[in-house]
Amino acid sequence: MKFHGSWRTLLGLAAMGILLLATTAWAADTIVLGTAMSQTGKYAREGKFYVDGYQITVDALNKAGGVKVGGKPYKLELKMYDDQSDPNLSVRLFTRLVTSDKVNFLLGPYSSGIVTPASSVSEKYEIPMVQGGGASGQIFSRGYKYIFGTLPKAEFYFLSAIAAAANLNPPIKTAALVYSNEAFDRSVADGSRQLLKDYKIEKVYDEEYQPATQDFTSILAVIKSKNPDMILLAGHTENSLNFIRQSQAQDVSPKMWVFTVGPPTADFRKVLGKAAEYAYGVTPWLADMDVGGEIFASAREFDKQFRERFGYEADYHVAAGAAAVLAFKFGIEKANSLDPKKVRDALAGLDVETLYGRVKFEATGQIAMGQVLIQIKEGKVVPVYAAGKFVNKAVYPMPKWSQRK
Amino acid sequence: MLTLQVLINGILLGGLYGIMAIGMSLIWGVMNIVNIAHGPLIMLGAYVTYWTFTLWGWDPFLSLPVTIVALFVYGYLLQRLILNLVVRAQLFLTLLLTFGIEVAMVNLARIFWSSDLRQVTPTYAAANFSVGGLTIPYVRLWVFVTTVVLSVVFLLIMERTRLGRAIRATAEELRAARLTGIPVGHIYAVTYGLGAALAGAAGAMWGMLFPVTPMMGGALTLKSFVVAVLGGLGTMMGAVVGGLILGLAESFSSTFIGPTYPNAISFGLLVLILIFRPTGVLGKGEGR
Repeated sequence: MKFHGSWRTLLGLAAMGILLLATTAWAADTIVLGTAMSQTGKYAREGKFYVDGYQITVDALNKAGGVKVGGKPYKLELKMYDDQSDPNLSVRLFTRLVTSDKVNFLLGPYSSGIVTPASSVSEKYEIPMVQGGGASGQIFSRGYKYIFGTLPKAEFYFLSAIAAAANLNPPIKTAALVYSNEAFDRSVADGSRQLLKDYKIEKVYDEEYQPATQDFTSILAVIKSKNPDMILLAGHTENSLNFIRQSQAQDVSPKMWVFTVGPPTADFRKVLGKAAEYAYGVTPWLADMDVGGEIFASAREFDKQFRERFGYEADYHVAAGAAAVLAFKFGIEKANSLDPKKVRDALAGLDVETLYGRVKFEATGQIAMGQVLIQIKEGKVVPVYAAGKFVNKAVYPMPKWSQRK
Repeated sequence: MLTLQVLINGILLGGLYGIMAIGMSLIWGVMNIVNIAHGPLIMLGAYVTYWTFTLWGWDPFLSLPVTIVALFVYGYLLQRLILNLVVRAQLFLTLLLTFGIEVAMVNLARIFWSSDLRQVTPTYAAANFSVGGLTIPYVRLWVFVTTVVLSVVFLLIMERTRLGRAIRATAEELRAARLTGIPVGHIYAVTYGLGAALAGAAGAMWGMLFPVTPMMGGALTLKSFVVAVLGGLGTMMGAVVGGLILGLAESFSSTFIGPTYPNAISFGLLVLILIFRPTGVLGKGEGR
């Protein structure tokens, strides 16, 4: 027995030694970016955009020579777990990434509801996290130093939409505000309420719903009875989809409707087909925008490479994820160090042009960037209103369902 | 007018909830299995309809028999080969096993079909008509009519056929059923198959109204559970009544209290029923 035991100890020690050697060898010239992304569960769809966005950017960076620190090139490596769309699991996984996997830096998860608790892990261990998945003001209002976000402020998501609505002919007079009771969508609603007031649009309906809602017929029945000029919906892709389909079946058609998530995504237009026509959406990024930088010379080039590799169009989720990886490259090179504190300071002062646009963080850690109002016309995403002016003519008012072919 | 519209919406949706829950109630009532894999069966039915529609252009209502047969066979085999091993064991064991089946089904669906949102969109998907200011979508109406027809057919099978009698006998007195020569293993498998077939039919119709994804089942298992308990376990009419109650409760609470409340109201109802009528609205006798 004793012999047996000592053998085991010896074996264990040997294994540990090999592991230790392996980790030191591996740590010598790689920078590990750790993340937990939703690959299963309710955010599996959006999560995939980030998984692919992170991967293509890491590979492109490595192909272009990696990240240079002190003149020495480092390869980037992704260490990824699946948080199953569960905020509690996400916190455990990020804690594991920091404490036992000892990754260098953190890329964020998806959705404000998960980023908010996950960012507490990065703050506690003082490891910078750059994320492209959460835009709620909650994430950035806690005075945290180690969280950076590449999605624009949730409170201003509908700014371009509401500004455009007030300047259309005839102008929008009344609006219905529908939003899920998740952190992000609540922030959007809070911001929109103020914006509607500023632009003197009367709010005739203002209700929150559960994000898992499938059936919107009751909500639609009430909205229909109020007959608003415009409907603003803040929710997830599936909510927007159900809302539009059921509006058609219930014959609800306002002059204009705007969705936080959905219209810029190819999948959304494919599933809805013609019913998606004329819907407005907002996006910080479009593949045919005139932006570009190192690694990916232009948004178009990025989209092309992305489509070749993954077989679907890159949308703003993908680009925001790519921007998060690139922020680390520039941050680390600027800091010329792998020290988390130094990289954090470099990120805070970053100002670079990328495929995603200008990456420059505000003091809160959130990117200083606006949204473009887009509309779906003949299955294509057309920018309508950006930076305070119309860039293309909108189809307005939206034709009623009965008048559509 | 709004109240009437809400009433109609609630009834039309309630019919679908009803048929979703009949299978759950049946399996639970006969074998004492709380079928966690019920939602994934609905999901599978939705996918069968989606694929026959997308690949071969079959009308989702006409392909209903195909979906029903496919799910029956799947359910039969599942019970015969796997669940029969632990049937009549402790509730916890069967719970665990159906939970495992749930996880496997959801993840296989995710691997084979990806987690993309899909939708069955026949040309008439959004057609509707108006009567006196009320808007009624055709698909929802047809779905309601189909659920009523299917429920009646199912009730007739249970009440009037030898098979139905065998199933009920097995549920009521296992030993006596065995003594009279009822092949219990086979009857169990048929029961599960019937439950799966009804779940599949519900899925086919769910897919015409809402997006289809591998993850859609979880919430539906829960809904079926609530409906089955509301109506009374093991009573098939109970599931239909429970479905209508849930549909109406959701649609009224969402309109008049607020769209965040339907779940609170549904589960509140469940708690109330469990306190005051533990055997469900149509349940017979005293609770165990």
